[in-house]
Amino acid sequence: MSDVAALQQERNELFRAVHNSKIPKRVPISISIPFEAVAQFGGLDLVQAQWQPEIVAEAADRLCELIFSDTCPFFGSMRFPSFYQILDSQSFVMGSNGFIQHPEVTGMLPEDYDYLIEKPYDCLLERVIPRQYKALDLKDPVKMALTLTKSYLAYREDMGAAAPIIGMLTEKYGYSTIGGSFGGFTSAPFDFLADQLRGFKGISMDIRRMPEKVAAACEALYPIVFKQGLPANPSIYAPVMFPLHMPTFMREKDFARLWWPTFKRLVDEYASLGVRTQIFCEDDWTRYLDYLYELPTNTVMIFEYGDLRQIKDKLGKKHIITGLYPMTMLARESKEKCLDKAKEIIDVLAPGGKYIFQFDKQPLNAQDINIENYRAVVEYVRDNAVYSNPGEVHGLEFNPADYKAEPRRSFESKYFTVWEEFKARNPAVSEHGKEKLQNLEEILFQYLMYLLI
Amino acid sequence: MLDTDLLTKAVGDLDEDSVIKQLQEFAATNPSPEEAQKAVAACQSGMGIVGELFEQGEYFVGDLIFAGELLTNAVEILKPYLGGATSEKIGTIVLGTVAGDLHDIGKNIFKSMAEAAGFEVHDLGIDQPPGNFVEKVKEVKPEIVGMSGVLTLALESMKLTVDALRDAGLRDSIKVIIGGNPVTKEACEQIGADAFTTNAAEGVKICQGWVK
Ligand code: B12
Repeated sequence: MSDVAALQQERNELFRAVHNSKIPKRVPISISIPFEAVAQFGGLDLVQAQWQPEIVAEAADRLCELIFSDTCPFFGSMRFPSFYQILDSQSFVMGSNGFIQHPEVTGMLPEDYDYLIEKPYDCLLERVIPRQYKALDLKDPVKMALTLTKSYLAYREDMGAAAPIIGMLTEKYGYSTIGGSFGGFTSAPFDFLADQLRGFKGISMDIRRMPEKVAAACEALYPIVFKQGLPANPSIYAPVMFPLHMPTFMREKDFARLWWPTFKRLVDEYASLGVRTQIFCEDDWTRYLDYLYELPTNTVMIFEYGDLRQIKDKLGKKHIITGLYPMTMLARESKEKCLDKAKEIIDVLAPGGKYIFQFDKQPLNAQDINIENYRAVVEYVRDNAVYSNPGEVHGLEFNPADYKAEPRRSFESKYFTVWEEFKARNPAVSEHGKEKLQNLEEILFQYLMYLLI
Repeated sequence: MLDTDLLTKAVGDLDEDSVIKQLQEFAATNPSPEEAQKAVAACQSGMGIVGELFEQGEYFVGDLIFAGELLTNAVEILKPYLGGATSEKIGTIVLGTVAGDLHDIGKNIFKSMAEAAGFEVHDLGIDQPPGNFVEKVKEVKPEIVGMSGVLTLALESMKLTVDALRDAGLRDSIKVIIGGNPVTKEACEQIGADAFTTNAAEGVKICQGWVK
């Protein structure tokens, strides 16, 4: 076996151990650097690079050369301008510096609640998407059909351009093929409603003005976000990723009755199918640690802020903890201070395993990345967060049989054609086409929902 | 007659129905500008309570947003009766989200709380280059410049903005406060701001301290 292949296997073992409640040889390290930062690091024009993603390959390679990580630091981008600009997006627009961002916009009005609750998917397609994407003008159907098709082709092309770069880097540097991979990406039902539908402001008004409708809307959205995240081939090594947004901005009372119930059930239903969950607890979740404890065993929890000791004590035996290293220190503090912080963090979080090293945020641009400090911190963790008892089982273990799915609404819509329906309308179609057609339906569903996440 | 204590309490409790009902009944009495001004002041005191409850961890960002909207609606009802009467202005703030950042939820919260505290706020908007801050400061001569940003890249823009204010010879005549998720003590020092906060209510207090 080549050195690189052996390295890759060793790294896979680190993640396999952590995901199976075993102590790894050392703390695995998972660094991710977004597309924008990679492009700027390479001295490329950010706007050009986002239109021609293949040109970042060399810069990504150089970064991988410089920064140690057990997973591939380059992961492409979630936000390319091609499809957003073709669709004339209101919700993802480019700032003066070339970064695509999300301004506070409203895709759904209070009077849309009843329709959303009755026919959620229809409401998203008929009302929300056209409001957020002005080029999808329902009054100009032919043009609209062409525009949507064009945007999908652009999406597929640009997303596709990043994949071979990741493949090349993974092979060249022997990155883990297990750590860092997701089975899916979706939102908590309440966050889905807040982010792109009602907006931060809208949802804050609704919580007080019409809480029953908010609760009903979360139930209605459940089957959609469930489907959006569900992996085609579940593996315990590929958890579904949820960035979590609204809880820290809510009172616990509102969180407990409006945010938590649908999320908890969703994650339990995934667990019953053997699908694990990774959550990004953005902002400071200290108030909610007891709730987090209740999630299925070995949920991967990325924290941004919080008290290390408290988090480890409350959650460390049941869940996998990561994050918490303040990324902004790297660009602003001396190397010594950065290393002290690394030591402080691994001293608390590493004992007993169930820990992956990661920063609390991704760097956004080249100024966030002080390569020297980055290297020093990551290498310190690699060389010092080493265990003496690898292989030992530690803490609770994940078992899908411990979870069950509660009754809930099913996913159905006239805009999602199931095979039987298609066959009834087109009797001539061959059974051989079934899988292909259902797959195409799925691809369209995923694309349309991507526009709202 | 309007019970100003009751109104203040309803605003503090974020009891929208009660606030609107009290103000509508009050409006029906066709109040004088002075009376209407008292009602505005009562609502503003209510906002002060909201800010305190936020600092105590009883209220959260969502509640501040709600409070801002409630105050706007309240003033809307009172406007026709205010005539020329204006409240005492305690200071002027030029506020904006810095270049490269399009976020404004936090900025808007700070703005409504600062206004409720009696500041005149000139809001530049989002993604504002340093030059726009400089121009506005020259024009309105504020005591305070507030900068907001959610993304880490905003820190660099904040620094460039302070540099631009210094280059224009304006830095010494103003206080600079920065706010938003990524700001820290260290960042504040590097940027050359006078104060930082990730808490709008605290920000208002700092500003009040400056204009005393
Ligand atoms: C909600 C949220 C979103 C929502 C935005 C919804 C909306 N309508 O704006 C959505 C889901 C769309 C989103 C998208 C993304 N996000 Co986001 N998001 C957040 C989150 C959870 C909260 C931000 C927020 O609005 N807070 C609420 C406001 C009110 O707080 P605030 O701005 O701090 O304001 C308060 C104080 O600071 C103060 N204040 C603010 N300004 C001022 C000014 C003055 C003068 C004063 C005195 C006070 C003051 O007053 C306010 C009240 O107290 C943060 C996490 C976090 N820790 O903040 C991530 C975060 C900002 N997002 C992040 C990222 C990476 C993204 C994405 C790029 C992800 C992606 N790949 O698509 C996208 C697009 C970028 C974008 N945001 O445009 C990162 C940024 C990382 C970085 N290095 O900067 C963060 C930090 C999460 C993380 N830990 O990685 N996001």
